[in-house]
Amino acid sequence: MYTPQSGDFKLVTDRNIALDENFSSQGYWKGVAVHFFRNKFAVTGLILVSLIILFAVFAPIVSNYAYDQIVSVTDTSGKEIIAKSLEPQFGDGSAQNFFADRTFIFGTDDMGRDLWTRTWHGARVSLIIAFVAIFIDMLIGTSYGLISGYFGGFVDHVLQRFIEIAGSIPTLVIISILAIFMEKGIGLVIASLLITEWIPMSKIARAECLKLKEREYVLASRTLGAGSFHIIFKQILPNTIGPIITQVMFSIPVAIFTEAFLSFVGVGIVLPQCSIGSLIEAGFNNITILPYQILPPICVLAILMLGFNLIGDGLREALAPKIEDM
Amino acid sequence: MKKIFMAALLLVTMIFAGCGGSDSAGGDKKLSVMLGSNVVSLDSAQATDVASFEVIADCIDGLMQLDADGKAIPALAESYDVSADGKTYTFHLREAKWANGDPVTAEDFVFAWRRHCKSSAEYSYIMGDTVACVKNADAVIKGGDPKTLGVSAPDPKTFVVELDAPVSFFPALMAFPTFYPINEKFYNSLAEGSYGTSPETFLSNGAFMLASYVPGAANIQLKKNDSYWDAAKVSINDWQYQVVTSSDNALTSFKNGTLNVVNIGGNQVAHVNQDAELAKNLKTFSSGLLNYLSFNQDPKNHHAGALANANLRLAISNAIDRESLVDNYVMNGAKATYTAVPIDFAPNAKTGKFFAEDQKQFSDVVSFNVSKAQEFLSKAKSELGKDSFELNLIFSNDGDANTKIVQAIKSQVEENLPGVMIKLQPMPKAEYLSNITSNSYDIALVDWVPDYNDPMTFLTLWTTTGSEIAEHWSNADYDKIISDCSTGHLAEDYDARWSALYDAEKILLDNAVIAPLFTSASAVLISPNVEGIEYHVAGISRVFKNVKLK
Amino acid sequence: MSKYIAKRILMSVLTLFVITFVLFVLIRIMPGDPFPVERMSAEMILQKREELGLNKPILIQFADYMTLLASGSFGNGTSLYNGAPIKPILTACLINSFKIGVLSILFGTVVGLAIGIVAALNRGKFLDGFCTLVSILGVCIPSYVFMIFLQYFFSYKIPFFPYFFDPSNFMASSIMPALSLSLFAVSTIARFTRNEMLEVINSDYVKLAESKGLYGFELIRRHVLRNALIPIVTVLAPLVVSLLTGAMVIEKIYGINGVGKLMVDAIAGQGVDYNYVLALSIVFSALYIGAMLVLDILYGIIDPRIRLTTKEG
Repeated sequence: MYTPQSGDFKLVTDRNIALDENFSSQGYWKGVAVHFFRNKFAVTGLILVSLIILFAVFAPIVSNYAYDQIVSVTDTSGKEIIAKSLEPQFGDGSAQNFFADRTFIFGTDDMGRDLWTRTWHGARVSLIIAFVAIFIDMLIGTSYGLISGYFGGFVDHVLQRFIEIAGSIPTLVIISILAIFMEKGIGLVIASLLITEWIPMSKIARAECLKLKEREYVLASRTLGAGSFHIIFKQILPNTIGPIITQVMFSIPVAIFTEAFLSFVGVGIVLPQCSIGSLIEAGFNNITILPYQILPPICVLAILMLGFNLIGDGLREALAPKIEDM
Repeated sequence: MKKIFMAALLLVTMIFAGCGGSDSAGGDKKLSVMLGSNVVSLDSAQATDVASFEVIADCIDGLMQLDADGKAIPALAESYDVSADGKTYTFHLREAKWANGDPVTAEDFVFAWRRHCKSSAEYSYIMGDTVACVKNADAVIKGGDPKTLGVSAPDPKTFVVELDAPVSFFPALMAFPTFYPINEKFYNSLAEGSYGTSPETFLSNGAFMLASYVPGAANIQLKKNDSYWDAAKVSINDWQYQVVTSSDNALTSFKNGTLNVVNIGGNQVAHVNQDAELAKNLKTFSSGLLNYLSFNQDPKNHHAGALANANLRLAISNAIDRESLVDNYVMNGAKATYTAVPIDFAPNAKTGKFFAEDQKQFSDVVSFNVSKAQEFLSKAKSELGKDSFELNLIFSNDGDANTKIVQAIKSQVEENLPGVMIKLQPMPKAEYLSNITSNSYDIALVDWVPDYNDPMTFLTLWTTTGSEIAEHWSNADYDKIISDCSTGHLAEDYDARWSALYDAEKILLDNAVIAPLFTSASAVLISPNVEGIEYHVAGISRVFKNVKLK
Repeated sequence: MSKYIAKRILMSVLTLFVITFVLFVLIRIMPGDPFPVERMSAEMILQKREELGLNKPILIQFADYMTLLASGSFGNGTSLYNGAPIKPILTACLINSFKIGVLSILFGTVVGLAIGIVAALNRGKFLDGFCTLVSILGVCIPSYVFMIFLQYFFSYKIPFFPYFFDPSNFMASSIMPALSLSLFAVSTIARFTRNEMLEVINSDYVKLAESKGLYGFELIRRHVLRNALIPIVTVLAPLVVSLLTGAMVIEKIYGINGVGKLMVDAIAGQGVDYNYVLALSIVFSALYIGAMLVLDILYGIIDPRIRLTTKEG
């Protein structure tokens, strides 16, 4: 009788697989896209986020002023003065206009800097922070969750204990300890986001993995001799992408929010750099007397949050169209 | 579902049980005063901040008090005698009572003074040889026997203090909380560490007593102390402090009548000035607080000790437009300052002129002059053989004003001095202090609150062994002048001391050890119906004892 | 079941111990002295460190601290409220935060449930869109911004509520902070309720009940809501904890003596107060772990399926 040996089967990597082009073009992702774009809310969200990103990328480049430039203007008596705390104005050349030659779409802040440029520069900084942080979170959180879920047992137990401990330490404590070892600024904010935000990501990945690892195709490739890491990253990971992307869409607003909170409390961005959070903080100090200063950053923040949440919701429904639409 | 709802209802009822029923204390007639920060401690041995000192002074009287003009007048001491050599003060106490009925005795002072020396508290230094010069105080602070402190109570109404050297401003110092009495019997009846943590554990002998207080309270209620020796002069009964940290909140709460006395920031001042009706309530008081840049001159400093070069320091000091700083960014009545002692501070006892009256005195080394600054810079560049300097500027980020000032300085210095780059490093107060005391900074924005009304409260900062904010600068001539003036032969000669202090200041500024920026002020809105708040530049900043409500 | 609970409790205590140790070590290596040093000489600083036992090896310091904790005390503050015992202050602050927290959770749950149910029952219609938008808006606006607007409009423009928190008038002065804090809870619970309701409505047993002739409110109450509520319990526990920390800025703005304000003061105030940061962190962590523990046990009681599996296992 023949006893099965480990060398009997060899795993064929996906290099030489003949794909059914016709069927795959009808694929899963196409369905998701169709569902997604049919959802009015999701499309609105996508448009809002794209608009903000466009402005954040191009507005500071096109602007006449640098984000940290203290602008001087000539007043009616011909004296050079610092253009601080000016309400929004458009230099139209008319005689009544106080500083006819200058345009400040959002006005200027109390240091005499153009708020239009600062708002979009701030949005850019906030977005960069959020994207970088969440991208790395996705890498760490997903691997952690998948490994924990796949191996189960002792490994899972230890890893989950660690999460429980890490998750029980208040964020502010972690950040202030971090602030000692790192220079304040973008790096610090990203690092603190990294430490706190990967946990929900890993929980989702673990839950998905627990579901998927019992599936037949996983069993099949294990029988065929595939290694654990091959199964985790080549077979399970691609199938968890949906929920993870959805989680990313919800994590980005949390990251932007956290950055805003950190800058508001005073451990975030270092001036004269700015972010949405530091702009809100600056505006808050003068909210009743110079209300126009706080409005642009708050609006940008709200639009970004709204946009990402709508996209997230849309994606979730598109990925799991279980209800009625089916 | 019904059960859950009932449980929720029950919970809400429980939460609010006992919370209702209070009338909202007929708003208009009550004095409500803004405090800019929390009270740290009502124990005068532990207090370190302006807010704590103010509330302690509301409730406890010392030997002396300051009148509206800042002159020392008798409080618990009815009178005092000074020995011919100026080294022994004998205070004769008046008949006064603690709020629990005990008489205030000289023993209460002896107890408190020994305690304040012993407890290695931040303010114990004020008893020592740099300030009050109480005999043996330094030894006691270092752990010596408190009984050796130069204070005694020959009888319950006589309190004798021996000094190491004559101190010209000693009577005025007696108005500072570190020199206030504590009722020994009452203190010993309390659990360890609980003194001054609630109305029950705090005993007053002054104009007011606590009605409600917990540590960290945002709201502190006070009431009149009927057993106060001067109670006839106190006309307000119930009043309160409210901690407000945002100056925008301060303005709105003043506008809607929630608070009667508030401090506001620069932007708010500009806003108030546009409103004639509101502007009538605006007053500005000089606070005697000097803002300056401290240069770390340690040659081993991580930026290759560039700041050890005097010309670089002079260049920076002369590249800053202090008037623009004050007019555009501070805006609350602060005054640009070109001396190491702030403006409107330390009047000469004989002429009445303020120490820093002449702001042009050192204009050859401290001024705003771009071409001169650039000359200094080119000298520095050739001496150091370097073309560009990157310097860190650290500051404590607990105030909006600081943030604006440093940004303006950065922009001015970088524009006026090509090659000098300034990197801003905001940090929480504790970390900031740890950096400046451990000498790990290049430039620091410092604001120093004077403890007593004499130039010495500033000038001792820069001696070799002076405060912990050491610029790592040492000058034997400077040290000698300061020690001669505090305990040496100049201590006895008022005029010679005064002019010697100017010599010291000249050494300091010629070397640009610091770059003075401005003297702070507070812009205050006071309701028209509130009269008689006394503002002081040193020690207790506000006194409410003589306030009258119309 | 009781064996399971005992095991869970033991694990929780152990976790808390580990966290306390980690926090203790991390906080002790922070720079800066835990007392004000601006006017102290180097000698005085050394003396004070000696007095506070900061020179001892860290493990001995930790042992000292644990003995203190075991005796039910958090020790004394060092710089925040100088020398005063921490426990009474912390308790007072916890009570304030707790009251406002409970109020906002109640409000958040009631409004959130209502919005979620209405949205689910009108799926795809205008009301659904409207409710979704409202719940999303709750996530878009930071609670402190909402608080700032409330304060501006309802105690300044229309002086209806006290401008600052007034402990003697708790009811009136806790409404605005509770309302702004509940914003996040409203939207989280509304979304969750909507999704769970939809899942249950489409489940077989509801369809069966429907076919048996159960309609309208009775059906919702007896079958849908009951089952949809179970997962909502899972959101509540983390919400409670996030409320405590989320209240930081609001407590600061409105002048409430709460744990959030205490934490901000302890970290960013005059001087880092090790003892307060440590005490607060332990309390926060204990709350979180406690909430999770209660949740786990509750879950077992509410959902018979979980109880069954634990019995077997």
